[in-house]
Amino acid sequence: MALKHIYFNEEACTGCNTCVDICMCDKLAPNPEKGKPPVEMYPEECWFCGCCVTHCPQTEKGAIQIKTPFQMRGSFKKQKA
Amino acid sequence: MTELKMIPVETDVLVIGGGLAGCMAAINAAGEGDLKVTLAEKSNTMASGCAASGIDHFWGYIPPVHEKMGYTLEDMAEDHRVGIAFGLFRKDLFMLVAGTLYDRVLDLEKWGINFRYEDSKAPGKFRIVEQFHSVPAAFNMDGAPLKPTLTREAKRRGVTILNRVQMTDLIIDNGQVAGGVGIGTRTGDIYFIKAKAVVMSNGRSNRLSRNQTGFDFNTRLPSPLSGDGTSMAMRIGLPIINGEFLGSRLLAPCGNYNPNYGDPRNTVQPAARIVDNAGNVIAPRTQFYDWEKLGKEPFDAAESRRRWLEERKVWRGGRSTLPKRVAQGEGPFYLDFTDATEYEANYIAWSIKNEGKGTQFMRYFEGEEGLDLRENPQEYAGWANRELSGTAAKGLWVTKDLETDIRNLFGAGDEVGGLPWAAGPGAITMGWHAGGMAANRARGQKAFLAPSEDTAKARREFCSAILESKRGFHWKEVELHIQNLMDFYCGEVRGESMLRRGLERLEYVRSAPLRAENPHELARCMDVLSIMDSAELVLRASIERKESRPSHDFRRSDYPDQDDKNWLVFLATKRENDGTFSFKKMPVDR
Repeated sequence: MALKHIYFNEEACTGCNTCVDICMCDKLAPNPEKGKPPVEMYPEECWFCGCCVTHCPQTEKGAIQIKTPFQMRGSFKKQKA
Repeated sequence: MTELKMIPVETDVLVIGGGLAGCMAAINAAGEGDLKVTLAEKSNTMASGCAASGIDHFWGYIPPVHEKMGYTLEDMAEDHRVGIAFGLFRKDLFMLVAGTLYDRVLDLEKWGINFRYEDSKAPGKFRIVEQFHSVPAAFNMDGAPLKPTLTREAKRRGVTILNRVQMTDLIIDNGQVAGGVGIGTRTGDIYFIKAKAVVMSNGRSNRLSRNQTGFDFNTRLPSPLSGDGTSMAMRIGLPIINGEFLGSRLLAPCGNYNPNYGDPRNTVQPAARIVDNAGNVIAPRTQFYDWEKLGKEPFDAAESRRRWLEERKVWRGGRSTLPKRVAQGEGPFYLDFTDATEYEANYIAWSIKNEGKGTQFMRYFEGEEGLDLRENPQEYAGWANRELSGTAAKGLWVTKDLETDIRNLFGAGDEVGGLPWAAGPGAITMGWHAGGMAANRARGQKAFLAPSEDTAKARREFCSAILESKRGFHWKEVELHIQNLMDFYCGEVRGESMLRRGLERLEYVRSAPLRAENPHELARCMDVLSIMDSAELVLRASIERKESRPSHDFRRSDYPDQDDKNWLVFLATKRENDGTFSFKKMPVDR
């Protein structure tokens, strides 16, 4: 299983590529197929700013979601995985 | 392979770096509508720099509040000099920042950023909170949309924004800036830009130490910030001050995540306190300022400062002891909001959402973890990366009008040295001022200088070689090597022989050929080359400062004592044309 933490909801994503345009680390690339969700080209190059999610026009529908990598999870007094 | 395309650009004003400072510079330079203003940004100005996903506060002198209080700009300057800068202070830069911040706030408000709150009892219905001074002196705002707002305003004024263009070189002609060279991070195109005046605003240097999670871009500061401006400046012989102050690792709350909001004060005030495993309070919580009292109590600036410095000693002292205590087997330690009122909890959540990676953090905290701020203390458990920013205030040496030694070349924001924690306020005020200065110079110059194409051609050849290389190394391998080198030879306590060995090793690193398979990787190679230059700066400046200075996290085994007589100065490090380095002591403002 390859490293991955950006998840696209194919039904909600329109392939507008706003997330691709805005990513400060330039880690996403447009899908060769128009209208399909972007490709996470460089999974290790992410600052987790969340701008891709914030600026997504379909964000209410969860078109793009970030799942925080396990080794990056915060440590809280009470916590379950 | 096909030759990389050369794209010529002519612009009156060139702004390098499109964060808060760069956007403000471009906006002001374009204000009269008579000049061509170009802004080069390696990412996208909509989300770039430290304010990429927002900031929730700006410090500065706030006349409607502070005049009523009896607190003067001079009082604030002295607070900053003593309590934040620990004596290494450019007062003229402070006066520019603190003194014009309010004007810039009103500009931002005009462009759509909200600073007014119905439930506020402060003058103007501003939310004014404590941050870096002995009285509340920071505006809160709904700052998440800052970068889109500035991008829109820049475009409205006709600024040409070149996103995905990473500047790599400055071109100088007879002691004056004549333009620059950059690369397209997606195309590999070489940009040869002629300009009459330039503002440098590339922000802080990052990625100089290993990340504890093994996820290399999980840094507190935005990962694209690779000190490109410092590198460009060094290579044209500009002096950089405070290069020796690469700090130590602090523990981060909600360890490993690196949410980059201010703790335990700033973003998470007032309810945040640091507690130990038994619940003993190491750093106490604060209370919001009682606005009913404004102007009704006598105010003594010296007494206010004294009390504030005492409080800061307790909570900063408390926080800074955590790494040592953990190393000795103590802990766990927590950032605890459990006695927050509902109002305070809502304030904290709002504040986090407008600051740094906060929006994503709250989504993660509430969403993925299902947690409630008031119910679940956050553990200080991960090491934040070492930083060359903040108290370090590394950057260009400039005049009070932000000009470098090179005519028509200005600096703004965290690119400029000498004002600790300039940060957001420094960016918007210096950016604005530098943009205005650059515009006036450009206006006064009829023709472009005739910069030679040599730098652009050399850069094109250099980039082609990286793209064609068969045996070069991946940028990440080289970056990891530099980070390991810095952590090992330039550690939290330094000594000359190890620092010199670090320089030898850095020479070896410089000899490593790089390889990139596409323009994205090529741009990352350029990041790494910048990081190399910052690494050299830190090593050389560390050797030169022959003392220890705990206030700046600077400790030497061979010079363990602080020596104000000889070293209460800014150390300026300069790379000469022949590659050797020279040093100069610059005066601090008393």
